[in-house]
Amino acid sequence: MSASANVTETIESHVTFDSIFLSYGTRDVFRDLACEMLARRVTVLMGASGAGKSTLLRMIGGLQRPDRGHISVAGQALQELDEPGLAKVRKRLGMLFQNGALLDSMTIFDNVALPLREHSSLTEAEIATAVRERLDAVGLEGVENLLPGELSGGMLRRAALARAIVEDPEILLCDEPFSGLDPPNVERIEALLTRLNRERGLTVIVTSHHMASSLRMGHRLVLLRNNTAISGTPEELATSDDSEIRDFLGADGVAYLKTLSSGGTSE
Amino acid sequence: MANPISEVGRQTLEMLSSFGRVTLFASDVARNLFRPPVRFGRTLEAIYDLGVLSVVLIATSGFAVGAVLGLQGYTTLVRFGAEESLGAVVGLSLIRELGPVLTGLLVTGRAGSSVAAEIGTMVATEQLDGLRMMSVNPVHFVALPKALAMTLVMPLLSAIFTVCAIFGGYVVGVELLGLDGGTYLASLETSVDFREDVVGSILKAVIFGALVGIISTYRGYSSEPNAAGVSRATTSTVVIASVTILFSDYFITALWGV
Repeated sequence: MSASANVTETIESHVTFDSIFLSYGTRDVFRDLACEMLARRVTVLMGASGAGKSTLLRMIGGLQRPDRGHISVAGQALQELDEPGLAKVRKRLGMLFQNGALLDSMTIFDNVALPLREHSSLTEAEIATAVRERLDAVGLEGVENLLPGELSGGMLRRAALARAIVEDPEILLCDEPFSGLDPPNVERIEALLTRLNRERGLTVIVTSHHMASSLRMGHRLVLLRNNTAISGTPEELATSDDSEIRDFLGADGVAYLKTLSSGGTSE
Repeated sequence: MANPISEVGRQTLEMLSSFGRVTLFASDVARNLFRPPVRFGRTLEAIYDLGVLSVVLIATSGFAVGAVLGLQGYTTLVRFGAEESLGAVVGLSLIRELGPVLTGLLVTGRAGSSVAAEIGTMVATEQLDGLRMMSVNPVHFVALPKALAMTLVMPLLSAIFTVCAIFGGYVVGVELLGLDGGTYLASLETSVDFREDVVGSILKAVIFGALVGIISTYRGYSSEPNAAGVSRATTSTVVIASVTILFSDYFITALWGV
């Protein structure tokens, strides 16, 4: 069954961008950008390289601020928050960085345990149980004592995912989770993200160039182009008359989305 | 072509703004010193990396510097028939100036550059952003333990340098050139004042350690997130920290007479 078939438009918004402006020198990145990401749904940010997908994701985490505009994350207006205020919001977020961003001087176990050691009063035994559970959830066993540099790209990404979900966040941000991975690892990560969304009710926001996975996973697609965003369900984008959207999705993408919207399966 | 005067103005403003940023960073590090949790394990790790792994370099360099001082000092003093003062010349110049200054420069080259490169690489690979996203303050978790460790190890390394250098001077002056060992040590003992010279030397080394610690962590922390940025951070750490040590040495000596 298509992921998008479950979407209802009455679902509350978890992340909202309103009138966002951002420029680097003379180059505009966003001009009056507005979009929203729904709670407990998978939103895929798509767009050409340099369109600002990762920047938008970093803005949700408060790692980057817009020149102007309003960002609301789980009801909190980020522009009003200082660094300690942002730290509180970030406790509700998990982020999977493109290259994992695991601390390379620490073992995988210590990396995944770090957020719990920093923020919880759990004993070491309880932390060990939680870490093993998350590593099991992402299909990693026997890597606890390895350093990040000793893992393959796919394993590294899964270890980083385990760290991102170890504190049970409400929103999971994933920056290019499929880039540089072989097809089996792409499928594995995609399945993991889909399962986290379905089983734990996580709001998942993904940036991706990987068209097939994006279309399979996304309840909602946000296409960044011309410094602004167009968003809609996959069905809405598939039937759009906008030639730029169709060009971006490509003939295969449009055909695939039409299959979904006509009740076909995603497999 | 840019107006030379406006170019000077631009460079001056840039320098002042850099100084302001370093000062803000240093005050942030200092504030974090009093915030829990205590990063005992990470500080200990940094002490090992920055201090213990520098001991061999510091000891051998110290011995070599002391040997040269002994040789130069002896050949100069013997012209005035004052070779029995070799211990005092070697000891005072090492304890008051060369010990802390040369240790500061050597530690900057070995450990300061590696701190800047390590933190710069963490910036380039988004590890610091990863910490922020886990609501972990990167200054508290990464910069503070390294800056603190640098401040703590510098006086110890300076002491090791000075002792090895005095030994180097002894080997050359006494064993090779035939000066009496008792004369060398007696001259050293009578000329060195613990409070004036030794405590002053430790104070200098602590200040140099804090300066190198702040400069190296700041340069890494503020580096551009790419390979060129890491390279620039490493190079500028060595240059800026070395010049800062030499200038601050003058001001400490001039103002406090140490």
